[in-house]
Amino acid sequence: MAKLAYFDCNCCVGRVAYPLLHDISGTEGLIREMDTAGVEEALVFHTVARDSDPVTGNRMLLDEIAGNDRLHPVWVVLPHHTGEMPVPGELLKDIAENGVRAVRMYPTGNSQGFSLADWNAGALLGALAEAAVPLMLDIEIAGWESVADILKRYTTLPLIVVDANYRHNRFSYPLFEQYDNFHLELSRHFGAGIIEDIVARFGSERLLFGTNMPQYTGSAAVSLLTYSEVSRADKENIAGDNLRRLLGRALS
Amino acid sequence: MSEYFEHVHEGRPIDDIEIIDAHAHLGPSGGFHVPKCSPEDMIRMMDTCGIDKTIVSPTPGLTGDMALGNDMMLDAIKAHRGRLYGACYVNGNYPELSVDELHRCFGENADVVVMKLHPILAKCRMDDRRMKPMYEFASRRKLFVIVHTWLDEDPYGNLDIFSAVVKEYPDIKWLMGHSGGPYGGRRAVEIAAESPNVYLDITMSMCPARQIEFFVREAGSERVIFATDNPFIDPRPSIGRIALADITHEDRINIFGRNAQNLIGI
Repeated sequence: MAKLAYFDCNCCVGRVAYPLLHDISGTEGLIREMDTAGVEEALVFHTVARDSDPVTGNRMLLDEIAGNDRLHPVWVVLPHHTGEMPVPGELLKDIAENGVRAVRMYPTGNSQGFSLADWNAGALLGALAEAAVPLMLDIEIAGWESVADILKRYTTLPLIVVDANYRHNRFSYPLFEQYDNFHLELSRHFGAGIIEDIVARFGSERLLFGTNMPQYTGSAAVSLLTYSEVSRADKENIAGDNLRRLLGRALS
Repeated sequence: MSEYFEHVHEGRPIDDIEIIDAHAHLGPSGGFHVPKCSPEDMIRMMDTCGIDKTIVSPTPGLTGDMALGNDMMLDAIKAHRGRLYGACYVNGNYPELSVDELHRCFGENADVVVMKLHPILAKCRMDDRRMKPMYEFASRRKLFVIVHTWLDEDPYGNLDIFSAVVKEYPDIKWLMGHSGGPYGGRRAVEIAAESPNVYLDITMSMCPARQIEFFVREAGSERVIFATDNPFIDPRPSIGRIALADITHEDRINIFGRNAQNLIGI
């Protein structure tokens, strides 16, 4: 089997308050982890945008990865009501001008302090859906009820759940059944036989390779995929082709 | 770049090193769906990546009926001799039954090679006085004992409790399950340095970057044990963690199987 061409949808740069083990905060460290695992490209957000201030972090991200053609920016976005971010139409222009093709949101009082319900994030979610900009939600923060609700309300919004784990199949399988715009990232979704089971039930088109480098090693997600008993075409989809298709449709 | 880079990326099993998975389970879990969890499923996954032997303690024993789990274990290792080996599960809430189970399991099949504890699922602290007869059994036989541990969020098996108990029983060879979890690595290597009878278990779903390199540098590869948590966790990610790590070939041989062979004798 020739090597797969990986496009990782779940990487970051920037320091965190409580590292798992090592402080690997810059582009150089991320690239070293990618090379060790054999990952060619990655979508990257900045931890400052998640943990401190989205506006500052998004700007830092562009500076941090400038000139590196293996890393592609993901912005963390907020609803516009407080004036920290522009109204959705303007935000989409900024996104397009800065080469951003996917965004993240960190809702709820425990994270960035807003709701994903229509009275709060409806305008932003609607604009993202209309432009087919993939939205990534950390499931530990957003929760499955909010994810199901967004999938139902915005059927053209490509929604990617990240950081789901081996305990979540009873939540994720009904969403695969019911919503074509539901996508699942695999950085810690390591239940035994998970790739074979999801591909057999729902196909490979909505599984996305992710690693959470440089917090996690990338080698675990790589070997889960390379040793899985699915077809070469399914592995190519998961390794990167699904993500490339989603990004290719964004803002088009 | 690792000498196994192409192996892993081409999906070829690691077939030139003995690989022993020292920490695995078996069967379904009430708390969540496990897609592939039968003995046959587990062996098929082992074959895809090159794992030769796996030591199992069935999940239903950990989460409920200890004897039921041990029965499942005995059936599985009898049916798959040479591929599956047994970990006898004991529970401090049932000290007499636990000792009976140890005698039953170790007496019935020589492929039962390990004693297994899961303090937080039993809600029985590792240092509870009711655990003493089980530790005495393990000490007399110089057993390998696997304990589920977590850094500081586990009131029953955190690393401070683990550290104290392992010093009381120096004849037991202790596998620190999960090495205290994803945030436990630094404390885990301190404990390994303090207690020569402690070994580091790599089992994890949140796998920190450079953790294997850190364990090898701080504790030596002779103290690191390959383990997967199969079928809670698919065994194949752990293959990549060792095979692609920036460590020597000799380190990989130690971690993948030589250490477990030396300690357990399988």
